[in-house]
Amino acid sequence: MSEDRELRKGSAETVILALLEERDRHGYEIAKLIDQRSDGALKFHVASLYPTLYRLERRGLIQGRWVERSNTRRRRFYRLTAQGQKTLEAQRRSWKAFFAALNRVARISHA
Amino acid sequence: MREADDVDDVDFRALVRARLEPLDVDAARAADIVDELAQHCAQQYADLVASGVDQRDALTRALAPLENRRRVVDEIARADRPRRSAPPPPASSTHLVVDLWRDVRYGLRLLHRSPGFTAVAVMTLALGIGANAAIFSVVNAVLLRPLPFADPARLVDVGEPGPDGRAGNVGFTTVVDWRERTHAFDEIAMIRSWYPTLIANGQPERIPAMRVSANFLRTLGVAPALGRDFAAADDTPAGWRVLILSDGLWRRRFNADPAVIGRVVTMNDQPYTVGGVMPPSFAPIISEHFYEPAQMWALLGYDRSQPFACRSCQHLKAIARLEPDTAIGAALVDVNGVHAALRREHPAEYGAATAIAVTPLADELAGNVRAPLFALMGAVAIVLLIAAANVASLLLARVADRERDLALRTALGASRGRIVRQLLVESSLVAWLGGLAGIALAAAVVPLVADLSPVPIARLATARVDVAVVIFALAVSFGTTVVFGLAPALRASRVDLQTTLRAEARHSAANPTSVARRLLIAANVALAVVLLAGAGLMIKSVGRLLGVDPGFDPDHVLTMQISMVGKAYAKNEAVVAKGDEMLAALRRLPGVESVALAGQIPLAGNVDRWGLHVEGRPVTPDDPFVERYSVTPTYFAVMRIPLRRGRLITDADRASTEPVMVIGDRTARTVWPNGDPIGQHVRIGGSDGPMYTIVGIVGDVRHVALAAPPTLQMYTAQAQLTDSFLTVVMRSASDFGLLAPAARQAIWSAASDVPVYRVDAMRTLVARSVGARRFVAILLELFGAVALVMTAVGVYGVISYSVAERTREIGIRSALGASRADIVRLVLANGLALVFAGLATGIVLAVATTRFLDNSLYGVSATDPATLAAVASVLFTVAAAAHLVPIARAMRVDPAIALRQD
Repeated sequence: MSEDRELRKGSAETVILALLEERDRHGYEIAKLIDQRSDGALKFHVASLYPTLYRLERRGLIQGRWVERSNTRRRRFYRLTAQGQKTLEAQRRSWKAFFAALNRVARISHA
Repeated sequence: MREADDVDDVDFRALVRARLEPLDVDAARAADIVDELAQHCAQQYADLVASGVDQRDALTRALAPLENRRRVVDEIARADRPRRSAPPPPASSTHLVVDLWRDVRYGLRLLHRSPGFTAVAVMTLALGIGANAAIFSVVNAVLLRPLPFADPARLVDVGEPGPDGRAGNVGFTTVVDWRERTHAFDEIAMIRSWYPTLIANGQPERIPAMRVSANFLRTLGVAPALGRDFAAADDTPAGWRVLILSDGLWRRRFNADPAVIGRVVTMNDQPYTVGGVMPPSFAPIISEHFYEPAQMWALLGYDRSQPFACRSCQHLKAIARLEPDTAIGAALVDVNGVHAALRREHPAEYGAATAIAVTPLADELAGNVRAPLFALMGAVAIVLLIAAANVASLLLARVADRERDLALRTALGASRGRIVRQLLVESSLVAWLGGLAGIALAAAVVPLVADLSPVPIARLATARVDVAVVIFALAVSFGTTVVFGLAPALRASRVDLQTTLRAEARHSAANPTSVARRLLIAANVALAVVLLAGAGLMIKSVGRLLGVDPGFDPDHVLTMQISMVGKAYAKNEAVVAKGDEMLAALRRLPGVESVALAGQIPLAGNVDRWGLHVEGRPVTPDDPFVERYSVTPTYFAVMRIPLRRGRLITDADRASTEPVMVIGDRTARTVWPNGDPIGQHVRIGGSDGPMYTIVGIVGDVRHVALAAPPTLQMYTAQAQLTDSFLTVVMRSASDFGLLAPAARQAIWSAASDVPVYRVDAMRTLVARSVGARRFVAILLELFGAVALVMTAVGVYGVISYSVAERTREIGIRSALGASRADIVRLVLANGLALVFAGLATGIVLAVATTRFLDNSLYGVSATDPATLAAVASVLFTVAAAAHLVPIARAMRVDPAIALRQD
């Protein structure tokens, strides 16, 4: 259980950055997409998602801004910064290397 | 589409907020976080309900992750504010310093975040405090700082009172008797002005100097740095030619040579022995009665036998040091007792009985500038009040803007005291920044003030921003903060969470914040009226004064003073002949229309009054004293003084012919109220002089000042009553910058040993005579302009804010069909009511206060209705103009958007 948590936490940042690579999104959308695309295997709730977002923002990897659209309340949208893009690529490389190594040792095939 | 965070009337924000407190991030950030999380929960709830989950279950599930409050709060705070090295102390901490430091940092951050507010507030205060610091540094230097002498409180002037009630001049023998018979004075010294001519490098230089009694320096409590003080034994008609030099003269003309002591210097063909040199710290302010600071001192050298040492020969100034612990009142009783006895013993030598005045020397030096300076202090105090009212109004607006934020902070556990402190810290920061900027402003401006002053004011040049001024400015800043920061702070501390978050409450007109701001602005307008009324009255006075006919035509007249003294000029004939030679040389200069010599001229600070005794009437000490001008015949043409009757002085009036005199209108009317003065004979000065025949009457001139009515005046011929100290007056359309050096050369071509000094256009002398008033007028004008700008900004701020507040109301009105004109009327009615209230109050205040200016006004009443009306209309125009932008903004209000605003 605890390995599970560590793994999730480590991957959380990568997942969020990857989702923001596609386009700007607000918090609820991010949570919902993670839920949908992982078929419920990865789950963020309000108390875990936002601290992660704030941490990423603080480190300059993403940037949030309030956007007002007609007929809705303002929402906070997050955008991937250039630095975030670089970090995402680096994380992808190290995850790839990690999975390759894991696969070679434990013979787990990954998609 | 529905509001995402307000589903089925569930207030997610309140729910989330309740679960997140106390969140240790700043209030604005906390509000953002609550907003964001509330939206998330609301949407999740909506999605759950849409997928068929029961509403109650959906709410529980949406909020479930937040139920472990402590952890959530910690995590958010840590993620958001990771740079904190130590965990923050709880809000209820008693660590005052830590809290204060945090408040200061928070305050600075807030100020930094609203640069517009900060700039306007700091600049406003800087102007207010700067003006106060500048004027205070002048007041401090001129009036408050003790004189740079030993025990200066004991130094007084003694003498018959002049027209202003202060001690005037005295005669030598009178003072000698005072010295012998009074007990209240430790020392009584005598001084008079003296202008010897020092010739060096072939150029004669006239040195402003003083003749003083031997105890002069001892009376002041100062001593020479080099050599020795004057000795009483030298203070005789034979031995007085001992010099003490100022440090400046010693350096400039004697190369700071210490061997100068004992050296013999020749001036006016007489040998003088240098006895000492004063230290550089000795500011010869005593001589400022005499127009220029003295650069050297010699002994008086009088004794009772000399004709000019008589009791009524009042050309000396007496400066005394009171005995220790003697009050001025006691000295007054003492000297007046003695003087009454002298008057009984020598009835023929004293005029109408007047009490002898004893005036503190410091007052005497401050002279006529005391009242104007206090008027200026009043003016800058008003500027400061206006500035403070403006800043208070800005602070109130900020409090109103931040009510949500403050309410949230209160809700999140901040105590009322803490909120007050936070706001006070913030307004203190503004005040201190404004105070520092104001001090910098004053430091930059004070040296200019001294230059701006057209009249020599004792010690004005020593005005500077010193410790006293800095303390004054900081104290003023602090006072401003307490008075004007406290009200907004207390107001803010009463912010009520419920009403505030229901935003509607803010639109109520009875909102106390708005009421306070509106009162402040009305007060601001009222104060501006007072200040502008003062400025307007002074400007009008100066205008009236400059419009006064001085009795002569001051345009295109150049004046320069010369003195013909020394062996070569011992005989009157020599002086007259040399004068004629100079006039001839000057007349040959291109562009010179006419030129003349005069013993004195109007408005140049000269005083030369002689007793006038009419033939056939008994001579009494109360015979009139008449201003005497010894002139060459062309003087009247140069000055364009009109002849009323009879004839002017002509070239035919020589030393060998019958002495003649021309008198002024007023002399004719005063001395001969019923008869014809022409052909009458008079003596002047004493009872043994020659008899003069009156041959003509001319127009009066304003001699003392434009504001003073003409004095009694008479003109004698330079050829018949010869003066050695003369003023050259020349009428020319040429540029004086070119004419003056040419004229100097022309004079030296005729007489190389004659010093030429005080070269001024007659116009300059006229302007200088209204100088003090103009100085005050310029400064009041400046402060008035500042007040006007501040008022405009203040009115603009309040009206803009109230338009913003009433956007919704305006929206409703225009939705209901109100026309643009209706909207304009709405905004104007709202603001102009304030302006009118302010104007009315201000006019009442102005009528009550401008009479303090009475003494400085000329030809205009302190309650001049025209001035008040002009001031009111200027202020009204400015205040109305300040409505334009808010009106434009109100017209752009879109009802659809306005109605949705919360």
